[in-house]
Amino acid sequence: MAVKLYKEPELENPVMIACWPGIGNVGVMAVDTLRVALEAEEFGEIEPWDFFYPKKAVIRDGELKDLEFPACKFYYKRTGTQDLIFFVAEEQPTEAGKTYAEGTKAYRMANLVLDVAVKFGCVRVYTSGAAVAPVHHTARSRVWAVPNNEELTGEVSRYENTVLMSDIEGRRGQGNITGLNGLVLGVAKRRGIEAICVMGEVPVYFQGLPFHYPKASKSVLEVLTAVLGISIELGGIEALIERSERDIELLYETLPAEMKEQLDRFRDATHAETSEPGPITDEDKKRILEDIDQFFKKGSGEDET
Amino acid sequence: MNDIDALTIHREPRLQSSSMVVGWSEDAGRLGPTVIDHLCRTMGCEEFAEIEPVGFFQLSGVSIEDDVAQFPDSKFYYSEDKSLVLFKSSPPRADWHRFVTTVLQVAEQYCHVKELYTLGAMVYFGAHTAPRQLLAIANSPQIKEALGPYTLARGMNYETPPGQRPTLGAYLQWACKSRGILGASIWVPIPFYLVATEDPRACRKMVEFLDSRLGLDFDFAGLDQDIVRQDEKIAQVRLRFPEVDDAIRKLEGNLGLTEEENEKLVAEIADFLKRRD
Repeated sequence: MAVKLYKEPELENPVMIACWPGIGNVGVMAVDTLRVALEAEEFGEIEPWDFFYPKKAVIRDGELKDLEFPACKFYYKRTGTQDLIFFVAEEQPTEAGKTYAEGTKAYRMANLVLDVAVKFGCVRVYTSGAAVAPVHHTARSRVWAVPNNEELTGEVSRYENTVLMSDIEGRRGQGNITGLNGLVLGVAKRRGIEAICVMGEVPVYFQGLPFHYPKASKSVLEVLTAVLGISIELGGIEALIERSERDIELLYETLPAEMKEQLDRFRDATHAETSEPGPITDEDKKRILEDIDQFFKKGSGEDET
Repeated sequence: MNDIDALTIHREPRLQSSSMVVGWSEDAGRLGPTVIDHLCRTMGCEEFAEIEPVGFFQLSGVSIEDDVAQFPDSKFYYSEDKSLVLFKSSPPRADWHRFVTTVLQVAEQYCHVKELYTLGAMVYFGAHTAPRQLLAIANSPQIKEALGPYTLARGMNYETPPGQRPTLGAYLQWACKSRGILGASIWVPIPFYLVATEDPRACRKMVEFLDSRLGLDFDFAGLDQDIVRQDEKIAQVRLRFPEVDDAIRKLEGNLGLTEEENEKLVAEIADFLKRRD
């Protein structure tokens, strides 16, 4: 189990941005869009076989040619304003029967990622994922930001379209971040490394569905680029948003009228103030989710926050 | 837990250049364990090592199968005379990499294994009386060539479809390849209605290949008796249930069955063959 570096670029006070698959593929889509736009160069990987099961066997003419494993790669970019290291994983290491990273392997992977951050003198680490929220899919996704030390809250609260947990109705600053997004934040705190998790809002009724949600990724991307002082072309992700909105609307049209009516109530619930009674009670929300689950014959998914 | 902790060696075999055969206990038609048991018994193999289950299996109790409590088991056997090593194991639920590494630690350090064969059963929609063709997937061009003289299909092209995972056998062969151990997965078709029971014909086919390749001088009397016994039982089912007879006749004539006929055939055969004599 090791990090393999193909080269050791000289970087000045780099920032690391890490991502892995999760709800709506929000984190990977945001970070990978940035990585690709900046043409970051691959320079290392975490050897995957101790963390993951193989994903593909390739047999040609009766011979086992290859066994492919999920990739976990490091990339770097000198942008002129801010040196960057990207870590992009194709999967989260899970223990038997679990959906999200937890346990010994996840903890080891979090430490290996941060070993690279420390080796190259990263001044900060960003992780990225989804925040499951009682919002409607027509609303702009906000970004929930969780820093791993109190000094960062002031800075985070100035990010555009971003909220701290204490800004969110009923949360009182509390919550959970599951999987590697949470673990990296925690392990970084333990090792004295600044880290912030930025999560794009995904409507609660999409949490168990196998959809990508590029709208949330775009919100995360806007925050990251603003913070890092980088400008990139967003045409690609906007096209994905257009397509996903068309797909969602098509799906929406197939829903029974009563269910649509229930979901439309999330339009009014969006961004409700703590002091105001929300238009949707917890009981309503539970019933709506049960109806949605039943409609798609899906079990309830886990959320990242 | 490291690799050493995972392994218990009861005795060290004196093998200089051996072949290893690996069978998984949850195979269709119980192919893996049946072949290994026959080889073990007929060749007079002795147990010499085992892999501890901790970390590889969920040890939260026991499962019960056919009225009997089961527990994961991963044991190595050997025959010095035949330079043969057998490994019969439940497929691990977790940490495949460490498991495979441990298996190959035994293969390399204790047995100097030069060739490793994994046994596999694939479901096919044909009759149990139809001739079977073994399929080989080699882990190198050398072993593919070495298998040329045997009656094996050797030209398969395949990629694991999205959403599925490669088999444990493929993982083991890939690990062998990276260590320079020649190896191949050998697959035998099992009729769909024997998947839940046993298929001695498939076992014989597999053992025929191993006997020939590894020079085992295997005595097939026991396996032949098993085939006769099962044929008699299936004949009884066909006699008692005309619809089962019709279905098998159709399969023998290369005709397809309806879903209902499939289900009926599977249920009747499994029910009858699983009855205690």
